[in-house]
Amino acid sequence: MKAWRYPAFWLTLGLVAAAGAVVFATRSATLREEMFLLLMFVTLASSLNILLGFTGYVNFGHIVFFGLGGYVGFYLMSQHGWPLWWATLAGGLASALLAWVLGAATLRLRGAYFALATIGVNEAVRAFVNNFRPFGGPTGMSLNFAVYRQYGGPANALWWTFGAMFGLTLLVILISYLVKFSRFGLGLMSIREDEDAAMVLGVRTPNLKTWAFVLSALFPGMVGVLFFFKNGNVEPGDAFRLQMSIEIIVMVMLGGSGTVLGPAIGSAAYERLRGYLLTSPIFKNLHLALAGFLLLIIVLFVPAGLVGWLRNRLPKLRRVLE
Amino acid sequence: MTRAFRVILVLSMLAALALSGCAKATPAPTATQPPKPTSPPAAQPTVAPTPKPTPVTKTVVIGFTSSKTGSQEVPSTGQTRGLELWLEQVNAKGVTLPDGTIVKFEFKTYDDESNKERVQQLYTKLINDDKTNFLISPYSSGLTDAAAVIAEQYGQIMITTGAASDATYKKGYQLVFQLYTPASRYLTGAVDLLAKLDPTAKKIAIVHENDKFSTDVVNAAKAYAESKGYEIVLFEGYDSGTTDFAPFINKIIGAAPDAIMGGGHFADGSTFAKQMYEKQVKVKFIALLVAPPELKFADIGEAAFGIIGPSQWEPQAAYSEASAKAAGIQWYGPSVADFVNAYNAKYGENPAYHAAGGYAAGLILQKAIEDAGSLDTAKVKAALDAMDVLTCYGHVKFDTSAEAHGLQVAHEMVYIQWQKDASGKLVKQVVWPAEGKSADAIYPLSR
Repeated sequence: MKAWRYPAFWLTLGLVAAAGAVVFATRSATLREEMFLLLMFVTLASSLNILLGFTGYVNFGHIVFFGLGGYVGFYLMSQHGWPLWWATLAGGLASALLAWVLGAATLRLRGAYFALATIGVNEAVRAFVNNFRPFGGPTGMSLNFAVYRQYGGPANALWWTFGAMFGLTLLVILISYLVKFSRFGLGLMSIREDEDAAMVLGVRTPNLKTWAFVLSALFPGMVGVLFFFKNGNVEPGDAFRLQMSIEIIVMVMLGGSGTVLGPAIGSAAYERLRGYLLTSPIFKNLHLALAGFLLLIIVLFVPAGLVGWLRNRLPKLRRVLE
Repeated sequence: MTRAFRVILVLSMLAALALSGCAKATPAPTATQPPKPTSPPAAQPTVAPTPKPTPVTKTVVIGFTSSKTGSQEVPSTGQTRGLELWLEQVNAKGVTLPDGTIVKFEFKTYDDESNKERVQQLYTKLINDDKTNFLISPYSSGLTDAAAVIAEQYGQIMITTGAASDATYKKGYQLVFQLYTPASRYLTGAVDLLAKLDPTAKKIAIVHENDKFSTDVVNAAKAYAESKGYEIVLFEGYDSGTTDFAPFINKIIGAAPDAIMGGGHFADGSTFAKQMYEKQVKVKFIALLVAPPELKFADIGEAAFGIIGPSQWEPQAAYSEASAKAAGIQWYGPSVADFVNAYNAKYGENPAYHAAGGYAAGLILQKAIEDAGSLDTAKVKAALDAMDVLTCYGHVKFDTSAEAHGLQVAHEMVYIQWQKDASGKLVKQVVWPAEGKSADAIYPLSR
């Protein structure tokens, strides 16, 4: 593991750490809420990048892991009284397990076929949850307000949740770098470049792809639990939003897929842009159309995203922008 | 390596600068003392400094978000208009407290984009940055649920309107007060109406949208109907966005019920009604959720005729000072006609129930402040707990039990039915409850 030798590693970690630290330094609740969303999207985009960026497999159903993990964790908290930390871990593991099962079935598909299958998976899981009584069916589940008292009072619970999200974001960045500079990561990138050639050279592609899929599913599951814990309720409509999957892809592509810094910057930029578009009287109903347009522009003209483009233009920055 | 680290250092500093710039660029709090997260719900508003003979004016900040964009835009706009009308009226005089302070009101409001993530972010901002004294909910149960968590966490009273779900009030909240009739009582009145119209009717078919609100409503209606001795011959849910109801209609025809109940929201409810008419389903009574009270429901023409729908409020509803006296309840605020006329004069249209709900939210808060004689959260909460009042919006009283604190217990749905006036034009008539009705219900439907 030699990730720490790269300036890029410290730069990205430093950026995320600064984003979280500024909230604790100011103790501003408003800034905390804004940063929670920002870090949430950084985590979701970075986790998707492990599959999309490193192996080149486009997953349109990434949000299914957020939804399912969130549901499982919420179920354990609301029905069985589990503490947030264990429920978060369980939510992540449930998503990872789903990815493992799905990976075995869908990762044999390539290109557009895999992408299509992932859309179906999101809808199938949503329909399942909608009819699954222990999860509350279409009504979803709610947390009793008294639960927040375990965390030092209700307002304090929000700080804990933010702290957990901050930690999770740092962790996903760290893991991304460790993967990228490992033998495992090298195998993933060889799959992205030419899967057949990689196979011929002895890379065990089915195994590597599955583990990348599992790793990329672990974090959204945990994010889901934190998000719904903060909301106090969970419903199928909020948990499995296909449009969020698409927005996460835009975030990764905007910053630069395959780099670790790219998705972090892309998600922060897109989240800001989205906030602006949604409140602008001209663009308010067009934000998804603009997301699509943005994706088109990126794919056509800057396929490497912002970070990739800078790397190509300024070779001196290659060790800094990884 | 050293050069690279220099680059990192510079970039990190730039990033830190950018971040702190961000923090300032957004209208976030900066120097002002941030609230301690561990602090228990504190009494936010400060009462006027010292009671003096010359009236002191104090401005109370009421915070809420509305959906200027997103799926809830239309009903949310009505709710906001109702609130704005109340603000205009109350500020004409202000509320005078016992110490002579004249209280005026001011709104702080943002667009929540019909989005739960934004709601939590914005309510935190309202409380911490805009220093609100009281809150009003966004529109819809889902968004209100998200806002209620924040309101309660920061110890601010929130009057919820446009949110019918029962579940929100069963989580142990102490400061959240509901104005809408809860979802569990949306269709129970339709069962009572059916019983009144035809004691021999026994079989009910329930077909509903498979979402949170509609499922809550029909589950409660089913239990209620069964307790009254009805047989539920069909209980089916359809996915949101369904446009072809043929399979459900075939099942209804097979089950041969006396009455059909259910529905969901506007689009599916009106399509369902239309397709039932086209298939000439032989049934004596149809009551659907949400869609029938909308004026646009009449666009489906003949298919709308005879359809019954629950509404939180209608302009024809006969709430008055006299009916308050007869029921032994205190009357508060303007008459129904005064409210409708004022709304019409301001916006050039009749208020729908969303607007009445918004108006009532302001009115109830005003009444609670008057009763409390103070702006102190604990005193206003006590006044809301004790409230039992009839207004132009109807009867308002809150549950004070530990299990369901803040749940609305007195407000009744009114049931409208699409009938024809003398010229054959489709019009809405209130047919239930009996004391508020503007016409007798048409029963049985002849099709």
